Amino acid sequence: MLKNYIKIAWRNIWKTKGFSTINILGLAVGMTACFLIALYVNFERSYDRYHSKADRIYRLVCDIKTPTETINANITSGPMAMYAAKDLPEIENFARLLPNSLLIRKDNIKYQESKLFFADSTLFQLFDFPMVAGNPATALKEPFSVVLSESAAKKYFGKEDPMGKSLLLTDDSFNSKVTGVIKDIPENSQFKGDVFVSMVTLIKMANFKFDEQWGNFGFTSYVLTKPNTDPSLLTTKFPAFLTSRVGKEMDQMKMHYSLFLEPLKEVYLYSKRGGFESGNINNVYIFAIVALFILLIACINFINLSTARAIERAKEVGIRKVVGAYRMQITRQFISESVLICLLAFIISLLLCLVLIPYFNYLAGKEISGGIFFHPIYIIILFLLACLIGLLAGIYPALVLSSFKPVTVLKGKFSSNAKGLLLRKTLVIVQFVVSIALIAGTLIVHRQLGYMRNQNLGFNKEQMLVLQTNGDAKSRILKDAVASVPGVLSNSVSGAVPGGENPVAYSEIENKQGDMQIANLPVYFVDYNYIPLYKIKLVAGRIFSPDFGTDTAQAMILNESAVKLFGYSKPEDAIGKKYSQWGSEGKIIGVIKDFHFKSLQSKIEPLSMRYGQGNGGGLVSIKIEGQHINAALQAIERKWHDIIPNRPFEYFFADEFFDRQYRAENRFGGLFLNFAVLAIFISCLGLFGLVSYNTTQRYREIGIRKVLGASVSTIVQLLSIDFLQLVCISILVASPLMWFFMSKWLADFAYHIDISWWIFAIAGSIAVGIALVVITSLTIKAAMENPVKSLRSE
Amino acid sequence: MIKITELQKYYRTEEVETVALNSLSIDVQKGEFVAVMGPSGCGKSTLLNIIGLLDDLDEGSYKFNDIEVAKFNERKRSDLRKHNIGFVFQSFNLIDELTVFENVELPLIYTKVPAAERKKRVEEVLEKVQIMHRRNHFPQQLSGGQQQRVAVARAVVNNPKLILADEPTGNLDSNNGNEVMQLLTELNDQGTTIVMVTHSEHDARYSDRIIRMLDGQVVMTTVG
Ligand SMILES: Nc1ncnc2c1ncn2[C@@H]1O[C@H](COP(=O)(O)OP(=O)(O)OP(=O)(O)O)[C@@H](O)[C@H]1O
Ligand SMILES: [Mg+2]
Repeated sequence: MLKNYIKIAWRNIWKTKGFSTINILGLAVGMTACFLIALYVNFERSYDRYHSKADRIYRLVCDIKTPTETINANITSGPMAMYAAKDLPEIENFARLLPNSLLIRKDNIKYQESKLFFADSTLFQLFDFPMVAGNPATALKEPFSVVLSESAAKKYFGKEDPMGKSLLLTDDSFNSKVTGVIKDIPENSQFKGDVFVSMVTLIKMANFKFDEQWGNFGFTSYVLTKPNTDPSLLTTKFPAFLTSRVGKEMDQMKMHYSLFLEPLKEVYLYSKRGGFESGNINNVYIFAIVALFILLIACINFINLSTARAIERAKEVGIRKVVGAYRMQITRQFISESVLICLLAFIISLLLCLVLIPYFNYLAGKEISGGIFFHPIYIIILFLLACLIGLLAGIYPALVLSSFKPVTVLKGKFSSNAKGLLLRKTLVIVQFVVSIALIAGTLIVHRQLGYMRNQNLGFNKEQMLVLQTNGDAKSRILKDAVASVPGVLSNSVSGAVPGGENPVAYSEIENKQGDMQIANLPVYFVDYNYIPLYKIKLVAGRIFSPDFGTDTAQAMILNESAVKLFGYSKPEDAIGKKYSQWGSEGKIIGVIKDFHFKSLQSKIEPLSMRYGQGNGGGLVSIKIEGQHINAALQAIERKWHDIIPNRPFEYFFADEFFDRQYRAENRFGGLFLNFAVLAIFISCLGLFGLVSYNTTQRYREIGIRKVLGASVSTIVQLLSIDFLQLVCISILVASPLMWFFMSKWLADFAYHIDISWWIFAIAGSIAVGIALVVITSLTIKAAMENPVKSLRSE
Repeated sequence: MIKITELQKYYRTEEVETVALNSLSIDVQKGEFVAVMGPSGCGKSTLLNIIGLLDDLDEGSYKFNDIEVAKFNERKRSDLRKHNIGFVFQSFNLIDELTVFENVELPLIYTKVPAAERKKRVEEVLEKVQIMHRRNHFPQQLSGGQQQRVAVARAVVNNPKLILADEPTGNLDSNNGNEVMQLLTELNDQGTTIVMVTHSEHDARYSDRIIRMLDGQVVMTTVG
């Protein structure tokens, strides 16, 4: 029986090649989009799940509350996890990571290693990072022990065995020993280190007693709980633990800590505190919904075309019933047929996926390996999914077709009923609603991105080259040396640049009431030249100047937001007030206009600036004349190699660097655009099918009308007006829907565009335009036909 | 074999109700060859469809082999139909996507005859209607007469006890028509009951009995 079904299905597919192509192609494209998104969703959800103890591992995070604000940090200070494990029996073990970027050298092979962590020796007891060489229990116990990933080991040692060999750390050339090699950490991990240095090295290298400094944040801490520990119960024990260990200090500093646990498996996707790498569950949902919509559009095509063609299959149904088929058998036949079509589409979509995975990786910005995609279990799941799609898309047409009464259909008096037509129209509207919504969504996302790129940031980042010396002691010398390079207009050395990292300092500032108000303030260490170089506007007081000897150690500049935070309504009022920050005390000498030192997603925060020669960052900003950039860059690179020969040349342009903060949004926009194009494409395939079918159905009518004197344009109008109406209804439905959803998306940006009505007008026009091209190209052809021909063909 | 009494059949459309068959009663014995004649629109096809259980009746009783079938549901009708009744239509009604062989095979598939047996039986009937050499052609590649012979083969392949033919020669020239009539007569000689609707007095002469209808009623029965 099945063989008979497949045979007739195959012959039908073959006989109506045009329809079948539209059907199969539409489904294949829809499935491809759906599969790729499924892959992406699955990948995002797979983060950190591979650790055998994942269920018992939590990230320990800290809220820091000062009288001024509360910071929801994703990091802790060193002692927190250590003493928690000591004091609380529920915690079996802990491991901390301190990210860093160090220069590592082996003979002439040198790299600035930014995927480097100082790590506790317990790291490998918590996490499953298989060791290729070395003892996981002891590898990170001794100072100056280094564990490398396989690819890092290859980078430095090639085919040599790295075990026991030495590597030089930092420019000061601490000698360290390779004590272990692990397999490269999988892509779906929240931290992907290439180099792990034993935590105790910090004591020897920087005299950093990390186990005792409660106020020194920066550590990402993980704790392993004993089996069957209730994390919420454990959390309730933290306040007492903190009071007993640091109660006094907290009171003294007017700073209050609270600790929380985040399940390891949820850190990446759900934590609002961010981390080394973080995903966004909302985007996962959005894409999952988009995938379902695209699939829906493809299925609608299938349903529409199949039911529209029902008349052609009616006779067959009648005959089969006459010779004894049950209705159920006919239903089954048509469902098997749609499953067969889906399976053909499935095969095509597998091939498409294979071709598109690299492109999709590029769009998504990560290596979502095609390897797991072609794993048998995935193929089976996708295969079943394809069958399910066939079943769902086939069920309605099958029920319609199998309900035909043989007496009626064999008499040939059969015509499609009004109900079917209404359904088809509704489905076309659904398709276009989805397509228009996606177009409008794309427009809004791209306009927001454009808005963020073109917004006046309050500082100048054009033609600004920045050298990243990673805190090299000679950054100041380098800065002075590049001043003589032709094309260099001006330069400066600083600890931070807009869009990058900056330290946050425990600060006390005299407020309007005359009290010393505590706040954690971001701090930029800058030289005399920084503010003019970046064209940051001064609104009160003055900038740092060599004319005032006290400026190097006893002066601070605040931005307007900071001034407001401390209660001053006019910036002038803050001038001359006292500050105390990180052991330095002095006066506020100036107030600068707010500038965006972070992305436009967040509001401009209070900021402090102090004089320093590149403390921490060692960033050299260089303004270059436009036409000299390439030559200047080469000359600057030569200077670099002369002054700090041990470091690889590292630089970026300030504007690109700032825009890198929008990478996730750019990717989001890119993916959105691609899927919107797909949705429109599939919808148009469907429209093409329906219109061409409708036109052939009315071939004779067109002939008669022409004989009676109708012009080509009136006939085109007659044929297309129905469909255009549907597209217009879709615009009306899609606009409020998208307005609602995109407002929510935009609400995440502190600075965003307003959605104006014309976005929907444009989205609608695009849809109408494309639909019009499809419709008229088909109807004009029919309308131009010689009427005699169409009448004779009956 | 067929006993219909006081049969009423209406067609309802939005505005009007047509009485297609009006208190009609007929009997057909096993092995009979009955021709049904009458002017266009008098209800012949309707009657045939009811006999063939393709359509239901509004009032009256219909006994098939002494079993009351008037109230049968769709599934039971299918069962009865596929084991007992073969159809031949004026417009052949072959499935265009299937070959001659596959068309004839179809009823056997629905009665779950095993494949080997199917092949044997299909070949037998194709031999009988002399279309064996065209077994792998598609209907569109055959002449009208050939198509109708395939339709007859399909109707008889299941060895039905009853064959219903609605103007089987209506679309054929006289030569081809006579061949089909010859086939039906042979089947009747082998014991198959036949009810045939026809407009042709010539064809009606092949039958044992002619039922004449007018406006949904039987007006006369003549024995041939
Ligand atoms: N589906 C239908 N809906 C409404 N009326 C119908 C329908 N089918 C048939 N009729 C009406 O029932 C009556 C009988 O039709 P039927 O097809 O049985 O005639 P017939 O005797 O076979 O005619 P012909 O010789 O032309 O084939 C006619 O008046 C016809 O108009
Ligand atoms: Mg008739």
